[in-house]
Amino acid sequence: MSANPEATTEKSSGGALLRVSSDKIGRLMDLVGELSLSVSETVNSPDLEGLDLVGFDAAAHRLSMIVREVQDAATELRLVPVGEVFRRLKRMVRELERETKKNIDLIIEGDDTAIDKLVADKLYDPLLHVVRNSADHGLETPEERAQTSKKKAGTIKLTAAQVGSEVRIQVIDDGRGLNREKILKIARKRGFFGETEEPEPERLWKCIFEPGFSTAEKVSTLSGRGVGMDVLNTTMSELRGRIAVDSEEGSGTTVSLHIPVSLAFLDSILLRLGKHLFTVPVEDISEIVKPGPSDIVGVSARRGKEKGSDMLRLRGAHIPILRLEKFYNSKVTDMTPLSEMVCIVFNTSRGTIAVPVDEVMDRQQVVMKPLVGSLAKVRASWGCALLPSGEVAIVLDCERLASGDEK
Amino acid sequence: MDQQTTQQIADAKRAAEEGGVAGADSIDSMYLTFAVGSEDYGLTIGMVTEIVGMQRIMVVPDVPDYIKGVINLRGKVIPLMDVRLRFNMAERPYDDRTVVIVLEVNDAPMGLIVDRVREVIDIPDANIDSAHNFGGADSRSVVSGLGRIEERVVILLDVPVLVSDMDVIAPQALRN
Repeated sequence: MSANPEATTEKSSGGALLRVSSDKIGRLMDLVGELSLSVSETVNSPDLEGLDLVGFDAAAHRLSMIVREVQDAATELRLVPVGEVFRRLKRMVRELERETKKNIDLIIEGDDTAIDKLVADKLYDPLLHVVRNSADHGLETPEERAQTSKKKAGTIKLTAAQVGSEVRIQVIDDGRGLNREKILKIARKRGFFGETEEPEPERLWKCIFEPGFSTAEKVSTLSGRGVGMDVLNTTMSELRGRIAVDSEEGSGTTVSLHIPVSLAFLDSILLRLGKHLFTVPVEDISEIVKPGPSDIVGVSARRGKEKGSDMLRLRGAHIPILRLEKFYNSKVTDMTPLSEMVCIVFNTSRGTIAVPVDEVMDRQQVVMKPLVGSLAKVRASWGCALLPSGEVAIVLDCERLASGDEK
Repeated sequence: MDQQTTQQIADAKRAAEEGGVAGADSIDSMYLTFAVGSEDYGLTIGMVTEIVGMQRIMVVPDVPDYIKGVINLRGKVIPLMDVRLRFNMAERPYDDRTVVIVLEVNDAPMGLIVDRVREVIDIPDANIDSAHNFGGADSRSVVSGLGRIEERVVILLDVPVLVSDMDVIAPQALRN
């Protein structure tokens, strides 16, 4: 091993800091992953079965505990405060003030919230677009604000907080809010909703992030031409994040981004279907149901060559059942009867779906890896997960599963 | 055998990096040869990272039939291609001579399941009849050429084509 004197020390108020390349940390994370896998392989070795090893068991337990701590410490190495991204945005807001001729008070909260460096690096662009949108479309001009009871300077608040295994970042403005009529009209024109459909506000507001959607009558240089919001969508899906919009006309808009703290470790539920192992992020699962015979409704009505589908009856609602066997192999013929399976219910932006599996196994923290090369074509998947047992499971993306994700 | 060959490959690569200490044996003319059925195949060792024995295969959905699944090699997830199936040859149960040749092609790993590995040999360009295609990129053959070593003929493979999902086609013409 050649020791690169690449790490340099840097003075700071909080003690000496060490600069280390992210490649080295990545290598360490990989090694820690391998370490934890091989420890669990050793400790659970079939050779030990039936042996009475009191001393060994105690030592093995201690070893497993230490490995878990090493794993946590390694994950922490890559966590950085989200404040770095916020500071860059602060500079941008000053610029926006000049360009829009609006007065903007920027308030930052929770900038010490920790987030994976890989995530932080990708956050700036999507956040910039949300902030720009607020400054450009959300906030009123000083003259307009003077006519209401609002203070002259508009406020944009950037907040970050950890909520469970997610970080929630919010961009809150006290501007004019979203106009339901105007947005609904355009959403209908774009075909997002039927002519008479009256969507819930939550679903309607999300439309403003759809590619090609822009309610500003004038296309300004600031907000771009609806391209920006697409960046937001793409990045959020890369980061396994969700977007929520809340708005009240006259008093402002809140855009919330929910992002997993770390992309490397995933809190997930392990599922088995035949010989295949799948895993899904815990937060994606809305519930797990063991259907009785009367809960399954077969619907033979179909379009063209499609197979008839089954529905799961759940508290009065009927949820379409999506079979992974059929999704991945349209030629599949013999499938386990639904009555012998367990249904995982997912709430997706395309509605609720039920996915039957043979067995629901553990809830586990797994190491996630991207699918590359010949595996990159596996549909509806975030990547693959290395399980502590050494096995590999495919991480399901229920959003793309629900959308059909054609080849 | 596996470890020995892996070591041999590592040595050859190191020698090449250090400026051709091994003399005329440039890494480009070094081939790892292996057997599938009664045929001898070879691929340039530049893309070979190691050779391992058969491991526990885990199935994955949504891949072609010749991708048998993945293995977990010290924390790396590597898809395995059964070369017999890729070449439309009859499937054969794996035995203790079956090995996996691990490649790294365009930053993506791939393991080739072959009947057995033979050796690393030097085949100078003069002894290779290269494949020529007339139909452009679509008709690029998985065979890049035929190498002659004394009485033997080694079928040299175009690794990027092999690991892609392009159809396997025979070369249209071979000449030196």
